[in-house]
Amino acid sequence: MRSPAYTLAIALLACMLSAAKPAQQNSSAASAPVTWNHDISPIVYRNCAVCHHPGGGGPFSLLSFRDALRWSRQIADVTGSRYMPPWLPAPGYGDFAGTRRLTDEQIALIRKWVESGMKEGDPAEAPTPPHFDTTWQLGKPDLVLTIDRPFTLAASGTDVFQNFVFPYTLSQTHFIRAVEILPSVPAAVHHANILIDRTASFRRAHPTDWQDGIPGMEIQLDAGNSFDPDSHFLFWKPDTPALEEPDGMPWHLDPGNDLVLNMHLKPSGKPEIVSAQIGLYFSAEPAVDHPMLLQLEDDRDLDIPPGARNFVVEDELTLPIDVKVFGVYPHAHYLGRKLAGWAILPNQQKKWLIRIPSWDIDRQSVYHYREPILLPRGTVLHMRYVYDNSADNIHNPTSPPVRVRSGNRSIDEMAHLWLQVLPVNTPKDGPDPRILLEKAWMEHRVKRGPDDVIARYNLAAAEAALAEYTAAAADYRRVLAVHPNDARTLNSLGAALQSAGDLIQAQTAFQQAIDRAPDSCDAEFNLAGLQLKLSQFDQAESHLRAVLRHCPDDASAHSALGLALAGKGDSAAAQAEFERALSLDPSDFTALYHLGENAIEAGSLDRAIDFLQKASAQRPDDLDTLEHLAMAFAESGRTADALTQLHAAEKIAPSDPALHALVSQLLASAGSLAEAVEEQKQALQLQANDADGWNNLGVLEARAGKTEAARADFQHALQLAPNHAQARANLARLNRQ
Amino acid sequence: MALRVAILLFASLLLPPQAAQNLGTDLSGNPIHQLAPPGTKAVVLFFAASDCPISNRYIPEIERLNQEFASQGVAFWWVYPNPTDTAEVVHRHQQQFNFHAKIILDTGQRLTQMAHAAMTPEVAIFVPAASQLSEVYLGRIDNRYIALGQERPAATTHDLQSAIHAVLAHQLVPKPGGPAVGCAIVPLNAQ
Repeated sequence: MRSPAYTLAIALLACMLSAAKPAQQNSSAASAPVTWNHDISPIVYRNCAVCHHPGGGGPFSLLSFRDALRWSRQIADVTGSRYMPPWLPAPGYGDFAGTRRLTDEQIALIRKWVESGMKEGDPAEAPTPPHFDTTWQLGKPDLVLTIDRPFTLAASGTDVFQNFVFPYTLSQTHFIRAVEILPSVPAAVHHANILIDRTASFRRAHPTDWQDGIPGMEIQLDAGNSFDPDSHFLFWKPDTPALEEPDGMPWHLDPGNDLVLNMHLKPSGKPEIVSAQIGLYFSAEPAVDHPMLLQLEDDRDLDIPPGARNFVVEDELTLPIDVKVFGVYPHAHYLGRKLAGWAILPNQQKKWLIRIPSWDIDRQSVYHYREPILLPRGTVLHMRYVYDNSADNIHNPTSPPVRVRSGNRSIDEMAHLWLQVLPVNTPKDGPDPRILLEKAWMEHRVKRGPDDVIARYNLAAAEAALAEYTAAAADYRRVLAVHPNDARTLNSLGAALQSAGDLIQAQTAFQQAIDRAPDSCDAEFNLAGLQLKLSQFDQAESHLRAVLRHCPDDASAHSALGLALAGKGDSAAAQAEFERALSLDPSDFTALYHLGENAIEAGSLDRAIDFLQKASAQRPDDLDTLEHLAMAFAESGRTADALTQLHAAEKIAPSDPALHALVSQLLASAGSLAEAVEEQKQALQLQANDADGWNNLGVLEARAGKTEAARADFQHALQLAPNHAQARANLARLNRQ
Repeated sequence: MALRVAILLFASLLLPPQAAQNLGTDLSGNPIHQLAPPGTKAVVLFFAASDCPISNRYIPEIERLNQEFASQGVAFWWVYPNPTDTAEVVHRHQQQFNFHAKIILDTGQRLTQMAHAAMTPEVAIFVPAASQLSEVYLGRIDNRYIALGQERPAATTHDLQSAIHAVLAHQLVPKPGGPAVGCAIVPLNAQ
């Protein structure tokens, strides 16, 4: 069944700032002259050069004494005002990796150097300037994606926010351990977010002009039909060109995904040709840990009157599970002034997550904690943002100020606090803990805003994923009360109802979805699937043929049509559909399984084994597949391989008596009578009223020479089924001996 | 905005007869002797630096004002005061930013001193009177930049434009509403 779940996918993501050690302290005596070589260059090289080098994001280089002399006054001014290096968080409110904040002593030293005449000092004391590659910092990427059409940034005007689509061109999934962006004109790029568009929804929404780049500060994406929440901050800025993920936490790209690069561009005075490249570095290993981005927000309350200087919005969210927080991304637009986030632990201890006393969107960033912060279940996350919509706020995009509400344009506002969290201490056999987070998050959102239909939809999807189908159906119905014609919600409602066992209502919902969106394949496919379950093969065939008219390359529709045709007895046509499905998707389970089954019937045991092994690779826990595979092996004379499959099945379903009986038969055919007897006894322990089973046990005991035991077994069978002919005959034969 | 007292910012500069004055050179190395040909109502000096990002960001705005006022007797000069801005560097800068301007390399920083300029970008307005040029304005172009790192999305007051209008209307010239923000002019003896 295809059960959709869309979430608001929002920009952002991650950089691991390289851990910078505190800059070297000046050890000179107070009276010693301050020089470039001894005192200043170590500070500049460590804290400034990462941007201020030829080709870097800074507007000029600071790799030599001559450079520093040219910019000495500005260096003193901007370090004194703490404009540079860019670092917004207040010290002591979150221990962040890669902190770029200079110490008061360093700032005073720079000031002293400038005021004392900017002496070069002893060349013997000069440290070696750092080296920066002009291209990829991490070496040649495994895959480079390039902007389709270079974008021309106008020479002047306000800042530009432009979104560029980079289709993922490969036909297989890759895990990404690192990403780099080469912005072609680094000095014109303030920062950039990479968004993962799982369904290419942004490209589809802009079919004619996506290659030119689409303006917009923030965009919404359709996350598609599976729960695959945004998980990583992919946030680029000039001082963090390479974004490397922690071990075990790569993110993934699937065929059909797009990357959307949301760039904040700053006019330089001349037209700039922006032709960014994204370099991807693959991970050989898939993800072990699956983090998730969690959001606090209060866009709903953003309705800021003109002139308001201290407009406050807040949010809080209670964690349903233990998490570790890896990073934080606070976000507001131009009116944001003070941004704060903290956590109140269950023991009432307050843990600061971040505090930014003077927000500046131009210097926004993602901040990663030096050590992830453990927040136990029951912790309450808090966000409190203060906005200034007065004319005194120089960042105010409107003059004179006007009423401002939430929105995606730069003249609108936002109040978001994103956290990258990793669920910890969760039971291995429980549900995906991220769904528990999603559910808590969406429950909170609908509590605050009962008319928030996106949150309501996501809540319903989370409930469905947790098998809370009745609650899910109720929430889907609340979405439909607002959007009665939303085909996707109708389809999801049908899926939830079907899972809840209400097949009649499910059929109605699917049919309504089809009526609203006849071109959409999902609801029609689901309706056909339901009809297959009800053995309504004619109707199912009709719907599946309709699906294939709209989505001719849908492999699962072909394999489902194969099931319908097989159900009608047209095995040749069914076979053709299964084969077509497999040609479209070599991993289509239904096609593999049924082709394997058919091959057994046709006596093509090698082919059967091939199909069924592939099917089993897709669904290792599917008992039918394991049993069929065992059957194919057994008929091929490969008893040991057959037993391997059945033992695997026994591990999955240890209390399935039929499996033990099958194993027993195989062991008997291989001559292992004693083991066969034991297996059959286990089967009968699980199902003591199985007359056939007792009869079979009697046969095995008799062959093993245990006549008395065999006699008792046959008698037991006859007690359970007095007319059991075989047991009676076996007992008679035994008595004759 | 209320106009402030319209006194001249600085004492009038008594210049020797312009023909005798070497005010700098053009990109070919030819000396420039005259800023205000006959009929000029105002001379605007735009102090620029090829490597200063804020100065560069103002190039389109200076171009716009030049076009707006060229026909009204306002002479715009682009003055490069920094020693590193050689003729070759400035020529390349002009090509990169594609502007059309009268350029002076202020090799002796004579114009810098004459205008009391300290920053790029910064503008000075001189008004010809008899054989003298009197400075009536020195400072910022507009209020987009408040300080390094404090920037409006767009300017809300256009100080230079208002000043030129005032000069042309023979009105009192308003002072700039705030300091010029950008890159300090490098003293000749610094490098």
